[in-house]
Amino acid sequence: MKIGIPRALSYFDYFPIWKTFLDKLGFKTIISSPTTKDILDKGVSLCVDDACLPVKIFHGHVADLIGKVDTIFIPRLISVSPGEYICPKFIGLPEMVKNTISDLPPLLVFNYDLHKGIKYRGKAFNTLARQLGLSGGVVDRAYKEACSMQDKYERMLKSGQSPLNILEPKESWDESIKNKVTIGIIGHSYLLCDRYISMDLIKKIQNKGYNVKVPSNVPDKKIEENIMDIPKRMFLSYGKRMLGSGIEWLKCDEVDGIIFLSSFGCGIDSFIEELIRRYNAREYKLPYAVFSLDEHSGQAGFETRLEAFLDMMEWRNRIGHNFSAHG
Amino acid sequence: MVITFPHMGKMYIPVKALFDELGVDIIIPPKINKDTLDIGLKSCPEMACLPLKVTIGNYVESIKRGADTIVLSGSCGPCRFGYYGVIQKEILKDLGYDVDIVILDPPREGLRELIDRLKKISGNCSLYSGLAALSKAFKVSEGVEELLELVLKQRCKEINKGDTDDILSRFEEKVRKVKGANKILDCIQDAKGELSKVRLDSKKKTIKIGLVGEIYTIIEPFVNFDIEKKLGDMGVEVHREMSVDNWVKYHLFPDIKFRRKQKRTLKYAKDYLDLCIGGHAWETIAHALYYARKGMDGIIQIMPFGCMPEIVAESILPTLAKNENIPVMTLVVDELTGEAGYQTRLEAFVDLLQLERSRKENEFGEALSWN
Ligand code: SF4
Ligand code: SF4
Repeated sequence: MKIGIPRALSYFDYFPIWKTFLDKLGFKTIISSPTTKDILDKGVSLCVDDACLPVKIFHGHVADLIGKVDTIFIPRLISVSPGEYICPKFIGLPEMVKNTISDLPPLLVFNYDLHKGIKYRGKAFNTLARQLGLSGGVVDRAYKEACSMQDKYERMLKSGQSPLNILEPKESWDESIKNKVTIGIIGHSYLLCDRYISMDLIKKIQNKGYNVKVPSNVPDKKIEENIMDIPKRMFLSYGKRMLGSGIEWLKCDEVDGIIFLSSFGCGIDSFIEELIRRYNAREYKLPYAVFSLDEHSGQAGFETRLEAFLDMMEWRNRIGHNFSAHG
Repeated sequence: MVITFPHMGKMYIPVKALFDELGVDIIIPPKINKDTLDIGLKSCPEMACLPLKVTIGNYVESIKRGADTIVLSGSCGPCRFGYYGVIQKEILKDLGYDVDIVILDPPREGLRELIDRLKKISGNCSLYSGLAALSKAFKVSEGVEELLELVLKQRCKEINKGDTDDILSRFEEKVRKVKGANKILDCIQDAKGELSKVRLDSKKKTIKIGLVGEIYTIIEPFVNFDIEKKLGDMGVEVHREMSVDNWVKYHLFPDIKFRRKQKRTLKYAKDYLDLCIGGHAWETIAHALYYARKGMDGIIQIMPFGCMPEIVAESILPTLAKNENIPVMTLVVDELTGEAGYQTRLEAFVDLLQLERSRKENEFGEALSWN
């Protein structure tokens, strides 16, 4: 049986565990092709207008898989960490897909809820296997391998590698430029890792000779430490990671500038961006820019804004950090 | 300490009753108007949800009138509502207002903290008087709801347009001036008495519409352009399960009976959505089904732009509408929504329902009895 996995949303964070698990159970997994204009357009036309860009793209990827697979894997990530959530749309994702896309093959809905404890992780995968008619030793073995694959992926990220390098190892980045100038890009992994939708931001910046850091490079411990001072427990996992990395980069002088890549219509981005921008403006005054993406974003304007930001950063680096570069 | 709080429809009435009983000074935020919204627009992130923007306006207007502490309820997910307090504190700080924000999170986030915070805002009153005040506030909340239900029932049938709303606005003026739960209850009683004297066309056949959606946009007339009145004036009987009273019972103090009923209602949604995804999306689906099966003519979903849970509900509603054979319309409101276009959409929807109604009546060869 061929199982399709949409290359969107949490795919970029969890594909090692999902894909390995399903592969080891003996299924053939097919990942939808990387985002193209066609996939985006399809998603936009299928999904309700008011949804955020990443959810629309997810719809496009699901549509891309129709006809190529026997079932489509739809993750319902309720919670990936005890006491936390991600976003209401992640929870309602299967419902959104089911009700807006017609001619779907059967869906393989993967319910994942660690809100009450990490021990539910294994259970979730067991249930997934049972949905596919499997249980027992083969499942345990597949789960183990899948976990170790996931761990490896996360270790690579934490060692500072760009997720794109891991995702597309064949591409050779010019590692020789060990430039001192580093740019931190804050954003959801599914924006940062989607080269089409992010206008290839990471690669563009790297090609200009800068280092890039992304939130998944920041160690969990640092994230936890940094959000301790927030007057309320941060209960949104992705939000927490973005905020924690932002604070880390502001505090520790690790980056020379910060770009916040947000998507139009994202309720989480808007809150986190607001906090980071205010902290920065009050205290740190690092070069800072927000790039907001929507389905109409054009390459040209994006390019110009990026150039302007980099120029400003360079200029500031030359004359020292005494000027407010905000704006 | 002078307390203020977000303005949400008639919510201020039970809240006022509570603080009056506790003997705590409060400033009721002025009725929301264009200026309130403008304050929010100037200082909030563009992509924030509308309620966040409007409530910032509430705070600033209240602070200017002397408030120094803001109380709001919290939550810990899945929606961002739980983060309002944090963002708003930062925004107010940058605006130069260093006020206390007390967030009342549900007890499971830490009972001690909740009790401490309650003590702080209740002026350290005794447990007994605290509970007494609460139960009075409950009564007021129920009374207000009854009054509003009556308004909904009558407005669409009144013979002299505006009678009902006159009584309602006189009531609101009076309530702001009196002190104490008993006085407020008296006002409610008076208003009910006046309402019972309004001349109605009891034979009038009304179109029935059920409202569903995000609670703030349902309850606060400023952001929904007074949808209840607009529809009522078109001769539509509006039903809405979402109410101040439900909100109080659900969020502030658990009411077992209400919870049970809530559970039963949510069961309705089972085939479409079977878990909480945040906000009130689950209720949206459940209530929509409830209305459909109760024989309403149509359903209107209303939500602020970008409302994450309601977007999921919005995706589900068309399927529900098809299966249940009931027209559903979604209204998204934000600061850019124009009243004229909004009115037109409402009118068109009501026309459509009217047409459907007569089509059905013809089909059955005789008028169905709706009342
Ligand atoms: S976190 Fe933001 S971008 Fe992601 S699904 Fe939710 S609203 Fe959309
Ligand atoms: S439910 Fe909607 S309006 Fe409420 S916090 Fe969430 S997104 Fe904002």
